[in-house]
Amino acid sequence: MPFKNKPQTFSAAIKPVELGTGDKAITIGGENVLPLYSFDAPIENAPKVGVEISDTMLETAPARLKEFYAGCETMADMAKKAAELPGVSFICLHFESADPNGADTSADDCVAAAKAVSEAVDLPLVIMGCKNNEKDSELFNKVSDALQGKNILVLAAKEETYKAVGASAGLAFNQKVGAESSVDINLAKQLNVLMTQLGVKQDSIVMNVGNAAAGYGFEYVVSTMERVRLAALGQNDTTLQMPIMTPVAAETWGVKEAIASEADMPEWGDVEERGVDMEVVTATAVLAAGSDAVILRHPESIATVSKLISELM
Amino acid sequence: MALKGLDIFKLSPKTNCKECGVPTCMAFCMKVAQGALPIEKCPHMGADVIAKLSEATAPPMKTIQVGDFKMGGETVLARHEKTFVSKNLYAVSVSDADADADAKLAEMTKVDYERIGERMFVEMVFVTYAGNKDAYVELAKKAAAVPGRAVILDVNCPETAEAALEAIKDAKPVLNGATEENAEAMNALAVKYGVVLGVKADSLDALYDLTAKIEGLGNKNLVLNASTASIKAAFQFAVEIRRAAVKNTDRTFGYPVIVNAAALAAGDKTMQAALASLFTLKYGSIIVMEGMNYAQALPLYGLRQNIYTDPQKPMKVEPGIYPLNGADENSVCAVTVDFALTYFVVSGEIERSGVPCNLLISDAGGYSVLTAWAAGKLSASSIAKFFNEMDIAGKIKNRTLILPGKVAVLKGEVQDKLPDWNIVVGPTEAVQLVQFLKDYK
Amino acid sequence: MATLFGRVFSGSDEMYRLAQEALDDVSKRFADSEPVAFPDTAYYLACIYAMSGKKITNLGELKEIMEWIKSQMTRNNKTHDIFTSGVATACAAEVIEACKYIGNPDPYGHDPLWGHCTDAEVRELGVPLVTGDIPGFVVFIGSAPTDEQALALVKSYQSKSVFVFMVGGIIDQVKRLGMKTGFNVRVVPLGYDLWSVSHVVSVAIRAALIFGAVQPGDYDGIRRYTFDRVNAVINAFAPVDDMTVACGAGAISLGFPVVTNETENMWRVPKSLIIQEDVDKFVETSLEARGIKIKITNIDIPVAFANAFEGEIIRRGDMQFEADGSRVDCLELVRTREASEVEDHKIEVIGPDFDEFEVGSKISMATIVDVAGKKMQSDFEPVFERKFHAYLNCIEGVMHTGQRDMIRIRVSKDTYEAGFRAKHFGEVLYAKIKSEFDVVVDKCQVTIVTDPAKVSELRKEANEIYDKRDERLLSLTDENVNEFYTCIMCQSFSPSHVCIVTPERLGLCGAVSWLDAKATHELDPSGPCQVVEKTGVIDEEIGKWDSVNDAVRKYSQGALEVVSLYSIMEDPMTSCGCFECICGIEPFSNGVVIVNREHAGLTPLGMSFSEMASMTGGGVQTPGFMGHGKHFIASKKFMKAEGGVQRIVWMPKALKDQVAEKLNATAQELYGIENFTDMIADETVTDDAEALVEFLTEKGHPALSLDPLM
Repeated sequence: MPFKNKPQTFSAAIKPVELGTGDKAITIGGENVLPLYSFDAPIENAPKVGVEISDTMLETAPARLKEFYAGCETMADMAKKAAELPGVSFICLHFESADPNGADTSADDCVAAAKAVSEAVDLPLVIMGCKNNEKDSELFNKVSDALQGKNILVLAAKEETYKAVGASAGLAFNQKVGAESSVDINLAKQLNVLMTQLGVKQDSIVMNVGNAAAGYGFEYVVSTMERVRLAALGQNDTTLQMPIMTPVAAETWGVKEAIASEADMPEWGDVEERGVDMEVVTATAVLAAGSDAVILRHPESIATVSKLISELM
Repeated sequence: MALKGLDIFKLSPKTNCKECGVPTCMAFCMKVAQGALPIEKCPHMGADVIAKLSEATAPPMKTIQVGDFKMGGETVLARHEKTFVSKNLYAVSVSDADADADAKLAEMTKVDYERIGERMFVEMVFVTYAGNKDAYVELAKKAAAVPGRAVILDVNCPETAEAALEAIKDAKPVLNGATEENAEAMNALAVKYGVVLGVKADSLDALYDLTAKIEGLGNKNLVLNASTASIKAAFQFAVEIRRAAVKNTDRTFGYPVIVNAAALAAGDKTMQAALASLFTLKYGSIIVMEGMNYAQALPLYGLRQNIYTDPQKPMKVEPGIYPLNGADENSVCAVTVDFALTYFVVSGEIERSGVPCNLLISDAGGYSVLTAWAAGKLSASSIAKFFNEMDIAGKIKNRTLILPGKVAVLKGEVQDKLPDWNIVVGPTEAVQLVQFLKDYK
Repeated sequence: MATLFGRVFSGSDEMYRLAQEALDDVSKRFADSEPVAFPDTAYYLACIYAMSGKKITNLGELKEIMEWIKSQMTRNNKTHDIFTSGVATACAAEVIEACKYIGNPDPYGHDPLWGHCTDAEVRELGVPLVTGDIPGFVVFIGSAPTDEQALALVKSYQSKSVFVFMVGGIIDQVKRLGMKTGFNVRVVPLGYDLWSVSHVVSVAIRAALIFGAVQPGDYDGIRRYTFDRVNAVINAFAPVDDMTVACGAGAISLGFPVVTNETENMWRVPKSLIIQEDVDKFVETSLEARGIKIKITNIDIPVAFANAFEGEIIRRGDMQFEADGSRVDCLELVRTREASEVEDHKIEVIGPDFDEFEVGSKISMATIVDVAGKKMQSDFEPVFERKFHAYLNCIEGVMHTGQRDMIRIRVSKDTYEAGFRAKHFGEVLYAKIKSEFDVVVDKCQVTIVTDPAKVSELRKEANEIYDKRDERLLSLTDENVNEFYTCIMCQSFSPSHVCIVTPERLGLCGAVSWLDAKATHELDPSGPCQVVEKTGVIDEEIGKWDSVNDAVRKYSQGALEVVSLYSIMEDPMTSCGCFECICGIEPFSNGVVIVNREHAGLTPLGMSFSEMASMTGGGVQTPGFMGHGKHFIASKKFMKAEGGVQRIVWMPKALKDQVAEKLNATAQELYGIENFTDMIADETVTDDAEALVEFLTEKGHPALSLDPLM
C-alpha cells in the first residue's frame, strides 16, 4: 500500500495585516496551514524578519554589531544602515531609554527620533516602548499622531493599557496595534476580545503572545503559540486569528549566555557568537511554533533566519 | 488509541497478589495505561491477554534504543497535548575524508555540562563514508572509542558497512545505509549484528515503500532518514513522517527520524544551529551537525530541555543559597520557590539590578509562588523549615529577608517563626525587583 | 399653552432663520467660490458632513445645504420629528458658525473663547474618553443663578475629571471668580451665542467618525455610537428659550440627556429631559442620568494601603482597640438598594468614633455597605462581602479575619495615632468596591455603626439576611437554574481542562461556586467564566447536554468532545491539577474512595493522592477517576449516574469529619440512611482493599449490594 499523504490544510486562515505604505509595505499572516508547512499549501506571505534598533543597545553591543553601526550618530543613521541588510522587511525602534527609572528620555524626543527614521527609510516601522505602562501609553499616543498615514505598528497594548493605546493608535490615528499578553492562550484571547470591543478592527491587531529566550521557560511560549494556532485554524476561533509578531532580540540579548564575558566564562568562547546563536535558535523556534514575524538585532542572525525562511517557503 | 486504565483492569486477574510490586491490580493497570510499567510485569495475565494488550497499548511510534539512548515512542504532535517522551539526540559528523577527524572527535567531548539536573553533551558520532574503506573502519573504531557516545555508521556500501560493523560490533552502532539498491544486504547485516537500521530514500513515497519492504523482511528496529536534498524537503519529511505515525496511526512511518543538518548547511555553523532548533521543535529524533560548540549548545540544549519538559511536572532547581552579583554573608536575602521558571526570572531580574543579594530557593514542590502557596507548599513553616535545614542563620549574617509580594499575607507568620529577621514584603512581579532592590539599598 | 413639539419646532425655525441671515450677510462680502472651512479638520463642517454626507467647501455649497437642513425639519408631531428637527437645528447653528470663519481663521481668538475644536483636540479628548480617564463631558448652556453656584458646579465636574464645555453667561460667571479655562484644564468656553454649541456637537460627531469609524451620512450609525459610547450630558440653566429647547432635542437624539432647572413650559421625559430645580444637585443628577462612572484613583486615608500589609499581625500590645465578633456584636453586610436610596460616597458613622474608646477596648462594630446599580444582583452581595477581608487587611496597621457576624478587626496604635478613624474604613470599602465592581455598582454608601445597642439590633437583621442567603444556596439546584458556567482559570497549567460549574457541582479546585462563576462573568464578561445555557438535554440522569458538550469542545479547543457531569464512568469531567480531592473506583467493594490533597498516606487502591492525581490531571478523561472539590462530596449530583454518595466507601478521617454533617444529611434524604459516615472506612480502619471489604460487610455498607460499577 503506498503512502497516503494527508496535507493538513484548514478552512480557516490567519487574518492578513498590512504594515507600512507604498512599495515597501508588507503583509503578515494569511496562511491556512500550520507554521512553515508550505508543503501542505502555499504560504502566500512568508514570515518576516525585522531589525531592532534600540536607543541603548550600542552601549553594550558586542564588537561586530558595534562595527556594523560604526559612524551612526542617530537612530535614523542606524535605520538607514539596517534597511540595507538583505532579508530585513521592517524596522523596529525600541525606545528602552524612555524608562522613567532609567534615562527617562521624553516621549517627545522619542517621537522626534521616530519621525527622523520615518523620513530616512521607507520600510514599515514598528515601535516598542520601555515596558513602563504610563510612559509607553504616552509614547505610543504621540508617535501614532506624529506618524499618521505611515501605517506603523505599536508594540504593544497590554491588559493594563489597551484602552489608551488601542484608542489612540488604533482608533484615533488609524495605526496598527500590537496586543501583548504573557504566554497564556486565554489572556491572549481576552485581550483580543477587549480590543475588538473597543472598536479596533481585527485587521489592525497583531499579537505578541509573549516570549522567552531558549532555555528560560520557553516551553510555555511554544505551547501558547501552538495552541493559539490550533485554535485559530482548527477551531476557527476568530478571536485568535490575528498574526503573531515576536520581539526576539529584546529577550535573548539579556540572558547570561549572550552577555557573560569571555573572561568570566572562558570555556564558552566568543561572546558575540553566543549572542547570535541564542538569537537564531530562539527565533527559529518561535517561527516554527507560530510567529509570523520576528524582530532580531544582529545582522548575522538576520542573514541566517531570513535565509532559512526563504529555504522553507 | 491508548487504552484507559479501567479497560486493562477488566482483563486483569483482580487478585491484588502484589507480585508485580504494586499494591493493587487497579494501581498496576493505571500505571500500565500511563506507560509507566509494561503489561508483562504481571505474572498472572494470560498470554492472549498480554498479546492483545501489548498491541493495544503499543504507542503509534516505536521506541528505538541505541546504546543508552532512547528515541521515539511519541504519542502526540504537540507537547501541550500530553508530553514528549524521548528527547532528540545530537550527533557530530566525521568522515574518512576529514583530515581533522581526530580533532573533531576530541572537540565534540568538550561540550559537557549540567543544566537543571540534566547532563548536556553530544550523544552520538555520525561517521560518514566518503570512499576510503580502510580509513572508514579506522575512524569507526575511533568513534566507538569515545566514551559514553553512540555511533551511527552512515554508509551505503554493504561491504564497507560489514567491515566497520565487525570492527565495532560491541558498540552496537546504528547502521544508517539501507537504500532501495541495497536493502536486503543491509537488512541482513543489521539483523546479523543486532543493530538499528537506518533507511534512506529520495522521496516520501519511496521511503514509505522501502520501510514497508524492510518491515516485510521482519525488521522493525529502524530509523528513517529525512531528505538531504533541501531544507524544505527535510522539514517535510520530518513533519509528514511524524504526522502519519501519530495523527493517522500509520505505523509504517512509526519510527524516529534522522536529520542531517551538517549536509543541509555544510560549512554554515549558524544555519546548522537554526536547523537544529527547527528540528528540535518539529520532529527530529537525531540531529547531525558538523560540530557542537558552546555557542550552539547553550541555546539548543536549553531549548531541548524546555520542549521535553512534562507539562504537568514543572522543572525544579535545587533548594539552597544562590549568591548573586557577588553577594556574601552580609548581603540581603530574598526567598522564593524552586520552580525553575521562577528561579530564572527572579535571578535574572536580581542580576539586572546589580545589587548583591542572596537568593534563597526553598523547596516548594516545583510550583510557582501562588500555586505553591495555594497548595500549602510555600508557607511560614516551609520557609522556617528550609532556614533550619540549610542553616541560613549560620551562613548569612544579614538579617533582612525579602518575601515575594504575592504572598505578603505570610509576613506575620514568617516574622513569628523567624523572630530575628526583618521580614520585608517585596514586589508582586519580578520585573519590579530591579527598582525595588535599588531603592532598598 | 405651549407644547414640547411647538417649542422645538419654533426654536429650530428660529435657528434656521438666523442661519439664513448670516448667509445673506456674508454673501454681500464674498463670492460663492469663497472657501468655507473650520481650521485643522478633515471632516469639513462635521455636523452637516456626518448627517447629510455632504462635504461643504465653499460658500455656494453652504447656501445649497440650507435646503437639506430645511428638509430635516419635519413637522408630523411624532417624536421622530423632534429628533430630526433638533439635529437640523445643530446643523443650522453650524452654518452660522461657519460664516464667522469665512475670511477669518480664528474669529474667537482662544482667549478665553474657543469656538471650533480641531481634529487634534478631538483626538486628545477622545482617547481618555475611551479609556475612561475622562468619564464624560458636560455642556453648560446659559447662566447659573449665582456666580458662586456656577463655579462650584464647574469645579465639581472638574474634580471628577469630567470635561466641561460652556456656552453663554456661565463663561463670565466663572471668569469673574478667577477660574482658569482652556483645553489644558479641561474647561472650555465655546462662545456666548447659543449657536456656538454646534462646536461641541461637532466634537461628539467627530468622535463617532474617528473612533467609531462610522461612515458620514450614516445618521443612525452616528446616533448609535454617540448613544453607546459618548458620555455627554447637557446642563441648561433657566430661563430656557425655544432655540435652546430645539438644541436640547438634538442632544437627546444623540443620547445626551438634558438636565435643567427650568420649570416653566418644560416637560419631564424619563432619562432624557430631567428637571432638577436644585442647581447644586446638577452634578449628581447628571452623572446618574447619563450613567457616568467616576474612576477612583486614590483612597483618602491617613495610612498606607497596599498588598504588602496583607500579612501584618497586630499583637495585643500594639493594638489600639479591637472589634471581636466572638465576644461582642459585630457584623459586615452588603445590601442591594434602589438607586434613590443610596447616596454615592456617603460615609456615615453612627455611635462613638475611635477616639472615644479606651486603649485596648473591645468595641461593637457593624460595617454596612449599601450598593445600587442597574446590573446589581443580590447574589453578588456575599461575593463583595468576602472581599472585605482582603481590602481591610491591606490597610497599614489593620488586621481583619472572618466574615459575617464572626469577624475580628484590630487597629494598631500607630495607625490610630496617624489619624485613622471609623470613616476611613468607609473610604477604603467605598473606593475598592466602586473600582473593582464598577461594572455592576453605580452607587455605594457605607455606614459604620459603633453604638452597641444599634449593632445588636442590626445583627438580628443581618442574621435573617445570612439565613436567607444560605437558604437560597441550598435551594439552588441544577434543575432550577437555566445556565451553568465554564471556568478556565487554570488552563495555563492544564491546557485542555474546562470546569463546568453548576449549583450542585462547584469547580474542582473548591474555590469557584456557581454564584462566584456568575459574578465573575458579570464583572468580567470576556473572562474565564462564560455562560453555558442549559439546553439540548441528552440525558439528565448522567448530566449530558448538547450545550455543555459544545462549551467543552469550544473551550478545550477541541481536545474534549463529550462530558457527563454526574458520572465518573462515562465521559467524566476532566481534572486540571488543582482539585481539592480525587475519587477513584475501588473494584472489590463496588464503590469509590475519596482522598484529599492534604492526606499523604496510601488509599485502599494502593495509590496515594499524588499517584492518583498524576493519572487524572492534565485535562484528560480518565474513567473511574475524577478530581473534585470538597463540597461536591455531599452533593446529590456526586456520581449520581452510578448511584450517588452511597458509593463512597473510604475517606481520610479528617476529610470525613469535615464533610460528615452535610454528607449524612444527603444520605438521609436520598436513601434514609442514618449516620452514613459511620459506614465509611478511613485510614484508622484500614488502607488495605481486603480489610476494607470486611469492614464494609460488617457495617452493611450499601455499595456492596449495588449494581456492579463495571
